[in-house]
Amino acid sequence: MSGHGLHDVDDEIWMKTVIIGAVIIGIGAVAFTIFTVGLGSVMHGLWDDTIEPYEIAHADYVDAKDEFHLAEDRWVNDGSQNTGVFAEDYHQTEKSLEEAEEKYETAEHNKEQAHLSYLTWTVAGKTIMVMTFIYGAFYIISGFFNSIRPEDNGHEGGYGDDHHGSASPILMATGLLFFMMGFPGLVDTAKSMLGIDIAANYGGFAISSIGSVILIIGIGNWWREDLVGAKEQIALGKPFGGQHIRKAGMWVFLISEVMVFATFFSAYLRMRTGWCTQWAVDSGRCTTVDTITASDLLRHDIMTLLPGAVNTFALIISSYTIVLALKTSKNVDWKPSETKWVRKLLPTRQKAVRNYLIATVLLGSLFIVLKIIEWSHLVAEGFDIGTQAGSIFFIATGAHGLHVFIGLLVMLFMIFKADTVGYDEKNGQGIEYFGLYWHFVDLAWVAIFPAFYLY
Amino acid sequence: MSEHKYTGPIAGLFQKLADKMGTDVYFVNFLILMFFTIFEVAAVYVTGLSVNTVWAILIGVGIIKVYGIAGFFMHLKGDPIIYTRTAVFPLLFAALMLWGIGLSNPASIMDLPGWCTPDWDYSYVTN
Repeated sequence: MSGHGLHDVDDEIWMKTVIIGAVIIGIGAVAFTIFTVGLGSVMHGLWDDTIEPYEIAHADYVDAKDEFHLAEDRWVNDGSQNTGVFAEDYHQTEKSLEEAEEKYETAEHNKEQAHLSYLTWTVAGKTIMVMTFIYGAFYIISGFFNSIRPEDNGHEGGYGDDHHGSASPILMATGLLFFMMGFPGLVDTAKSMLGIDIAANYGGFAISSIGSVILIIGIGNWWREDLVGAKEQIALGKPFGGQHIRKAGMWVFLISEVMVFATFFSAYLRMRTGWCTQWAVDSGRCTTVDTITASDLLRHDIMTLLPGAVNTFALIISSYTIVLALKTSKNVDWKPSETKWVRKLLPTRQKAVRNYLIATVLLGSLFIVLKIIEWSHLVAEGFDIGTQAGSIFFIATGAHGLHVFIGLLVMLFMIFKADTVGYDEKNGQGIEYFGLYWHFVDLAWVAIFPAFYLY
Repeated sequence: MSEHKYTGPIAGLFQKLADKMGTDVYFVNFLILMFFTIFEVAAVYVTGLSVNTVWAILIGVGIIKVYGIAGFFMHLKGDPIIYTRTAVFPLLFAALMLWGIGLSNPASIMDLPGWCTPDWDYSYVTN
């Protein structure tokens, strides 16, 4: 039992995370089976069905074009431009060509749509599986590590109540160092495992994997410290005198985040003002389009813009659910709703906070899944990171997606904490500080969505 | 997150709306954010609008959404002024970057390799 924090926590409690982690991985496996194996196979079959009609339509179109050109040559060489059998033949083949072209375009459209449908389901299944595997790994490794640690019975290390020294940052930084050192090897090995013709680099893979484990243990150690809790420290000097140090620290951290995203935007603006996009042509700034942007591919059709639009709503709703979690945790007069189904979802204050956090994680996870689906569609249409427009789009939206994902990993712990020791008016500020980060991620999207999707 | 009453020309309006609806400011803010997001997406599809009008709508809606999220959800409207100052501080640098880099010579992005390898006269080294 950890002795000198706000909460008494038995180490046994951590074994619960192992079970939760296993359940989450199980959910991911089921989602993978349903979406990728099941629906993905069905969609692949439908996609296959469109290939033969497409090839026939393409061959017919090529034949019709050849026949048209022959008829055109005969007609022109005949000399009698408007009369005779050659003119009739010309008009007949011209009509046939138009029909063949229309059929070819329809077949091509059907094939592309079937391919994108296949990508939607198969990518959704794979993304959910990878995400749940990472969620599960966090729960299992961190929980197991904390459950086997010796019981901490108070002041053994001679630390006073005001001591807040922690090994977690060093552990996390070391883990991140090894992870990044081996990352190229991890990518090569993963590609090799996926059947791409690249030699596996098992050395790099091993270094990166060890780094991941150290990183997760560092985070697990942090989880343990936060679960036990500590007295909130107050800043003494100017300019934050009298304020909670953690809150001031979070705001200073957010300053650096603003600068990170400002670099993406300034780079994007610099590039964008130099491109002749469809938007620039419509504004009369140039005449010939030289660059296709992601928004050119996304904004003209409601179905292609849908993932980005849904993601915008998902983030706003998730911002509100985290506000509700905080509000509920601080509300000492909280009472269950009189509406039956709401009372079932939010039976007690502790469970209400937990369930609001779960809703936030689900909305954030939806954001990631839709983002990866949207990326897969863009790549399938030839818009990849190899182009200048693609590079800034994928880096900026990818950096934002990474922020969302890191937020989700933090929220996994908050759900566990809400479920075990709970959040109340004494420790609810933890949700507030995390909420600042989460709202910032929403704010960044407020700028990214119009700039990269609508403009 | 205290349940204090918001005052001022805009925040006071949010508070009035909340009082009228019998709810809190956070819910009103949430509804306003949802409404303006619909408005933002719809603006792109409305035919007949010039691109400059759409651009103005996107910026206008963006400002409203930033105000709603930072002011109410991030609680800058209720917190001590030092947090607002902290939040505004990087915006000065961000604005400088957007102006100094983003809106400077558009062609320079293509000329970047030229910047890195200037046509330097090395003759003095050999002489």
